[in-house]
Amino acid sequence: MNIALALSPLLVVALGALLLMLAEAFSPRQGGLALGAATVLFVGAAVAGGVWMYGIERLPEAASLAPWLLLDRFGLFFDMLLCLGGGLAALLAGGYLVEHGIERGEFYVLILFATLGAMILASSGDAVTLFLGLETMSLGAYAMTAFRRASPRAAEGALKYFLLGSFAAAILIYGFALLYGATGHTDLAGIGATAATARTPLLVVGAVLVIVGVAFKVSAVPFHAWTPDAYEGAPTPATTFMAVAVKAGAFALLLRVLLIALGDASWTSWAAGWPPVVATLAVLTMTVANLIAGRQESVKRMLAYSSIAHAGYALVGVTALMRDPTQAGASVLFYLLSYTVSTAGAFGALILCGSHGREAVSYEDLSGLGRRHPAAALAFSLFLLSLAGIPPTAGFFGKWFVFKAAIDGGLYWLAILGFVNSVIGAYYYLRVMVYMYMREPAAGAPVALPMRSGYVTAALLVSALFVLALGLVPTRAIEVAVRAATLGAG
Amino acid sequence: MIPVEHYVLLSSLLFVIGSVGFLVRRNVLVTLMSIEVMLNAANLALVAFNRSRLRHAVEQAAPGPSHTGQVFAFFVIAAEAAEVAVGLAIVLSLYRLRRTVRSDEADLLKN
Repeated sequence: MNIALALSPLLVVALGALLLMLAEAFSPRQGGLALGAATVLFVGAAVAGGVWMYGIERLPEAASLAPWLLLDRFGLFFDMLLCLGGGLAALLAGGYLVEHGIERGEFYVLILFATLGAMILASSGDAVTLFLGLETMSLGAYAMTAFRRASPRAAEGALKYFLLGSFAAAILIYGFALLYGATGHTDLAGIGATAATARTPLLVVGAVLVIVGVAFKVSAVPFHAWTPDAYEGAPTPATTFMAVAVKAGAFALLLRVLLIALGDASWTSWAAGWPPVVATLAVLTMTVANLIAGRQESVKRMLAYSSIAHAGYALVGVTALMRDPTQAGASVLFYLLSYTVSTAGAFGALILCGSHGREAVSYEDLSGLGRRHPAAALAFSLFLLSLAGIPPTAGFFGKWFVFKAAIDGGLYWLAILGFVNSVIGAYYYLRVMVYMYMREPAAGAPVALPMRSGYVTAALLVSALFVLALGLVPTRAIEVAVRAATLGAG
Repeated sequence: MIPVEHYVLLSSLLFVIGSVGFLVRRNVLVTLMSIEVMLNAANLALVAFNRSRLRHAVEQAAPGPSHTGQVFAFFVIAAEAAEVAVGLAIVLSLYRLRRTVRSDEADLLKN
C-alpha cells in the first residue's frame, strides 16, 4: 500500500492515460479531451506535491523499488515539474488543435504517455528503466511532431527529430553497455561505486558515449542540429511539450548520471573529470544558439534557438555541480522550473496570436499587436521578459541562482560568459516587443488575429502566475529545490 | 571458448559501421538500418559481457549470478521494435507528401 502511495504520481498519470485512451475510442463527441488530459496531469502534480508534503522518507517501502525506480524528493520534484509542463502543453493543445482543424484525441493520449515516460526517466536509477522511460518519452514526442499529417514541414521535422533522437539513444545505450562491461552494473549507484576505484579505458569511453547521448537529448551545441527543425515543423503545443517536458526529463537524466554514476571526487575534478566537457558544451550552447537566434525571421524558430540557449545556461549550473552538488543542483532545478513556465507561456502567447488556420509565425505577423490586442501583447511581453531574465520575473532569479552557483564554484569566467550571453539574448526577445509595440503592419499585409480559447487563456494565466510568483518570492521554491537536490545527491 | 575481447571488438566494429552508415548514407531506410546495427552492437556487448561475468562468477563460486545484461538486451530489442514502428510511419508520411525517402531532399526547414 505504501509503495502505491510512493508511486502514486506515476500511477495517476498512467491510469489517466489509459482511461483517456478508452474515452477517446468510445466517446461519440471529441471535445473535452484536452480538459481531461490537463486535469490528469495537474492532479498528478498535486499528488506528487502531496507525497512531498507527507514526506517520502516516511515510506521506507519505496526503497524496495530501487535501483529500478528511485522514489526520492528529486524524482518528486521532477514529477511536479513535468506534470506542470505537460499539463500546460495539453491546455494549449486544446485551443490550438481545434483552431487549426487538426483536433484528434490521440494527441492528448500521446502527451500523457510521453509525460509518464519523462517521469519514469527522472526517477530511474538503472540503465534499463532509464532507457524505457527515455524511449516512452521520445516515441510520444516523435509522433506528436508528425501530428499534422498533411504538412510536409511536419513530416520533415519529425524525420530529423526521429533519426537524430534514435541515433542518440543508440549512442547512449552503447555507452551503458560499455559501462556494464567495465563495472558489471547497470544501476547508476553500482556503476558509481566501481567507477570511483578503477578507471579503465572501457569505463572512460562508456562515460563519454553516455554524455554525448544525453547532450543530444538536451540539445546542447554541437548536438543541436535537429532542434530548430523539429520545433518549427511540430504543431506549437508539441513544440511546447518538447521544449519543456522533454528537455526537463533529459536534464533529470543528466543530473542523475553525473551525480550518482560519475559523482566521485575523481570524476568531478576539473583536471580529470567531466566538468571541462560540460563547461565547453555550456559555452558553445549559449553562444552559438544566441548568435543564430538573433538572425531568425520566424518567432517560433527564434524561440527554438532560445530554448537551446537556455539549455546552455542550465549547463552552467550543471558544471558547478563539481564543487557543491546541493546548491548547484538546486540552481539547475530552479532554473528548469522558471524556464518551464516562461517557455510554456511564450509558446502559449504565440499560439494565442493565431487563429483559423493562420498561425502567427514571423515578426511581421506580430507588428502592431500591442495596439490591436493589448492583452495578448502584454502576456507575450511578460514571458519574453522572463526569458530574457529581467526582474521581477522567474527568469531573473533562475539565471541569478545558476550564475551564483558558478561563481561560488570558482567558475568566474563561465558566469561572465553566461552573463554576456544573456545580454545578447535580450536583443532578440526585445525585438519581438519592438514589433508588437512600435511597428505597424504594412498596408494590406495579412495580420494574424488572436484566437479566443478558454484553454489557452487558462494556460497563460497559470504560467503568468508562476512567472510572477517565482520572480517576486522565490524563497519557497528555492527551498524546495534545495531539498530535492540534497537527496538527489545522496 | 572465445574470449570476451573478441565479442567486444566485433561489437565496436558494428557500432562504428552503424554510425558511419548513419552519417554517410542519405536513404532514410538505410539510415534506419544503420541505427538498428548500432543498437545490435550494444545488445551484443551486453550479452557478451554478461556471459563472461557469469562464467567468472561460476568459477569463483560467487553467490547470485546476475543476468542483467541478457535481460537488458531483451528490453532494448522490444524498445527498438517500437521505435522502428514510429520511424517507418514517419518515413511513410514523408513519402506520401514528398515522394522521396532521401534525407537530403527533405530540405524545407532552414533558417
